[in-house]
Amino acid sequence: MEVLLALTISLLFATGIFQMLRRNLIRSVIGLSIISNAINLFLLASGAYQGEAAAYANAAGQRSDALPQALILTAIVISMGGFAVVLSMLYVLSVRYKTSDSDEVKGLTH
Amino acid sequence: MISPIVLPLLICALSAGLSVLLAIAPLGRHMPSRWMGWLLAIAPAAAFALLITESPAILAGQSARASIPWMPSLGLNFSLHLDGLSLLFALLVSGIGALVTIYAGYYFTKPEQNVNEDARFFAYLMLFMTSMLGLVLAGDVITLFVFWEGTSVTSFLLVAYKYKDEEARRSAFRALFITGGGGIALLAGLLLIAYSAGSADLAAIAGSGDALRVNALYPVMFGLVALGALTKSAQAPAHFWLPGAMSAPTPASAYLHSATMVKAGIYLLARLHPALGGTDLWFWALSIIGLITMLIGAYVGFTQHDLKALLAYSTVSQLGVLVMLIGQDAEVAFKALAIGIFAHALYKSALFLVAGIVDHETGTRDLRRLGGLWRAMPITFVVSGVAALSMAGLPPLFGFLAKETLLATATHPSVPPIVDVIFPAAAVVAGALILAQAGLIVLDGFLGQARAEHHAHEPPVAMWLAPALPAALSLAIGLLPEPEAIATLLARAATASYGAPVKVSLALWTGINVPLVLSVIAISSGLAILAVRSRLRPLFDRVSSAVRLSVLYDGALTGIDRLAWLATRVQNGKLRLYLVIMLLSASVMVVLIGRPELPAIRMISEGTQQPALTILRIFTLVVISISAIASVLLRRDLFAILALTTSGLSVAVLMLLEPAPDLALVQVVVESLTLVILVLALTRLPREQRARAFEFTFRQSYLGLARDFVIAAISGAIMFVIVLTALTTRPRQSQLTPFFEQNAKPLTSANDIVGAIIVDFRAFDTLIEIAVFAVAGLAIYTLLRYASYKAGDRDAPQPIRDQWMRFLRGIASPRTSPFVQGLARLLLPLTLVLAAIHVLYGHDQPGDGFTAGVIVSLGVASWYVSFGYEETKRRLPWLNPAGFIGAGLLLTLGSAVSAAVINGSFFSPVDFGKRLGIASLPAGVYFSTATLFELAICLTVAGSAVLMLDTLGHPKDADAESAQQIQAIAALAQRGEITLGEDSTDQLEKALPTEEAKPER
Repeated sequence: MEVLLALTISLLFATGIFQMLRRNLIRSVIGLSIISNAINLFLLASGAYQGEAAAYANAAGQRSDALPQALILTAIVISMGGFAVVLSMLYVLSVRYKTSDSDEVKGLTH
Repeated sequence: MISPIVLPLLICALSAGLSVLLAIAPLGRHMPSRWMGWLLAIAPAAAFALLITESPAILAGQSARASIPWMPSLGLNFSLHLDGLSLLFALLVSGIGALVTIYAGYYFTKPEQNVNEDARFFAYLMLFMTSMLGLVLAGDVITLFVFWEGTSVTSFLLVAYKYKDEEARRSAFRALFITGGGGIALLAGLLLIAYSAGSADLAAIAGSGDALRVNALYPVMFGLVALGALTKSAQAPAHFWLPGAMSAPTPASAYLHSATMVKAGIYLLARLHPALGGTDLWFWALSIIGLITMLIGAYVGFTQHDLKALLAYSTVSQLGVLVMLIGQDAEVAFKALAIGIFAHALYKSALFLVAGIVDHETGTRDLRRLGGLWRAMPITFVVSGVAALSMAGLPPLFGFLAKETLLATATHPSVPPIVDVIFPAAAVVAGALILAQAGLIVLDGFLGQARAEHHAHEPPVAMWLAPALPAALSLAIGLLPEPEAIATLLARAATASYGAPVKVSLALWTGINVPLVLSVIAISSGLAILAVRSRLRPLFDRVSSAVRLSVLYDGALTGIDRLAWLATRVQNGKLRLYLVIMLLSASVMVVLIGRPELPAIRMISEGTQQPALTILRIFTLVVISISAIASVLLRRDLFAILALTTSGLSVAVLMLLEPAPDLALVQVVVESLTLVILVLALTRLPREQRARAFEFTFRQSYLGLARDFVIAAISGAIMFVIVLTALTTRPRQSQLTPFFEQNAKPLTSANDIVGAIIVDFRAFDTLIEIAVFAVAGLAIYTLLRYASYKAGDRDAPQPIRDQWMRFLRGIASPRTSPFVQGLARLLLPLTLVLAAIHVLYGHDQPGDGFTAGVIVSLGVASWYVSFGYEETKRRLPWLNPAGFIGAGLLLTLGSAVSAAVINGSFFSPVDFGKRLGIASLPAGVYFSTATLFELAICLTVAGSAVLMLDTLGHPKDADAESAQQIQAIAALAQRGEITLGEDSTDQLEKALPTEEAKPER
């Protein structure tokens, strides 16, 4: 299972990097989102043990590791906030540079 | 009680504060300079007096310490230490400091305009004085370094005091560049020494010399410290900054560049001699550098015409002498060192101050234009004559003794045989040239032909008294029979630096011996040089102008410029290139430094897993991967975004299988909101831009694709190794989770452990997190609404007249069917109820404030999409995103503070329901700080997310394309072809150009 998880995470990472290397800024933003998914998966997989029941106090049996879950919960919301900021920057760039080609976005303009 | 050795420093610091106030306050504009000088001189004078009262104990062989803990965990203290060496320097710093401050008050004449100029000088001077005093009193290397840098910075300000003069600015930069660069090396060296000695304390470092000298890093320590000390003390080949620094006002030159700052390097070397000295490296490096500097200073100084430049070069020469003396491992050398420091400080500051008087009274410092001044200014002439005799090393002055002990050191049996001729010879040559320099000042400046071009007269008493006092002291020490206190002081200073007792006798006459013979040779050849000076100087000048060591400095600067030029060539502005460089460097570093090894791959899954679940997981992983890859391959942006969302939702499924229901919930709602925001942003990009982006994305050359593929594959491979290593070697026992599991229920009465971590155990993190999320919303608002308009952006979209706004496309499209509108009407109350349940049961069941907040914003999003911007604003007047954010954050703080009041601990859990005796709450629902916090999270997240929707969907930012369409609609409406009303959707459908054409193609 670990091998499969590691494979998926690295595949997502590589896909995200490939997307970020596109000249099209929209694709770069998509790549960013894929990478943040990969990282969340990594955190999830790095829990100390796998559980049979959700992390509830009244659950019977082996509970899943609650600590990485709390971290991911935070990470999901934060990365959404960051993602929205990046998108609005994309829009500002498109207005100012009249393009969404990352290669044309260089130098200062006003 | 303030320790007596802190007091002098404290007084100077207070005086520095006062001087800064004078420089910026209106009071300083009206106060005459001389008042200011007298007022501010109180501090150094008081410091001097305090040090004198402290001195009997020091002279008796004791030392005083004061220490204030700074970072005790790192063993760092702000500590001061007073022993013989510190006392000698501190007396010079405060004593000459007081004289210079008074003198400066007369030196500056207050012009009508720029009335605060003199106060600015005083501020720099007092700040420098404080730093310098702190430097010599410092008891540990960190304190020493802080004050060391303080002297570099304040000296920069003083040299650049006449900042309108380009030459002054350049000189100041050069001085800062050289001494500041040395300072960086010094910091590294001091830290290395402190680390090796196990203590930052200077006394402890001095005591661990034996260990330091055999340390393998000893050459590095010595090299770094020497670099700092020798650049500061203007040693060759970095000596040229000192003559350049003469662009400072003369009082500053007299103070910094003769008596104090340039001796900081000498002080440091003398201070560290017990720790680092006595090795071959120490001897050869310091002897050779000192010798060369001594000769260069003596030689070049003789060619100068400017009085101050001449004095600067003679200072360079003297500093070389002192460095050479520290290099010797003999008692007599440290005797000579102490005498040399003191004698030089006395005569050189006097001569600089005289140079200032001459400049002040005649308007020039050029020896070719001066002469015959003795008639007009007899007192100044006498003062300068005495000081110059001391500089020349003639009896019966103190300078004679300094030269005698120097010659005694040069002929000492401890000098290795290879250089036992070179040392005395060089000392004689330098002595002769320095005598000639001193002669130039007196003969060409004060004697000889009087020039009519200036009407010089004596300066005010206080002004000539300032140089007269040190000059008189030079004479007194020579004439008085054995001034006991001064001899003891010098002996204590030499002892502290040598590390073993040194005896100092100040008797001038020690019988006929080798040093005296050499001294006679030096004096007679000096007089001979002086006699033929008019023929010798042009000759000397031709040689010295051929060899300019500042070439090295210029070369270094040019080299740095070239390097910067090369570095900026790589930065071509293409962000993708930067990304590639970063990724590849990171990969190389991981491979080279981390040397990762692929762990053994075990395909057997863990026994606790049910096989059905494992199959489901594998299936989900495959879906995640395929949909991510699909987002690359799908050509239309919209489809790519949908593929991305599929991938994200599959991650949610995986989370559910973990099982982690809270996560899965948040992931689902966040993915949905992300989709809305992405589509929203996409519609705002002009269509032709997207078409072009499409072109270059899918018309990329195969070579480029292959390159990107390889880079992505390398990054993925590195990631694979990292992840696999991390997963296979992770500890299988959690340190923290058992604590949370056991305490969630008893401490926070929470059933949901994840929720308990979020709102109770790690509540402060969560507060910061929602604050970050709130800032994200505000940042988008600022970026899109505020920044583009306030910056006077030419390309900012023009505001469209209000009445047409609701016909804009995107989020504001009114073209939705009544059915969809009806759904939206139903959806919003439903989401509110859902959110309320999440907030209430957040502690007991899956879900929490984050989920609730995002759900509410999804309900609002459906309204924006169905009714359009204006309509939503009109129908939901209670929707105030910024207000939500503020209320949420305030509620969080309020609940945390209430917990602090009730429990005495910030963010601790309080069950209000139980306290107030509300017994009728349903099972699993609590009225507690946790509930309040969940509500606050919900409010903040919803507020920020709605703010994002609101900003991205605001029709005022519509692109030109939409604006044209609006104008078309307006034209149609005016011609009466359509009527605009509540439900004009159908007419607009007809009126607008059809939207079905594929946007990307």
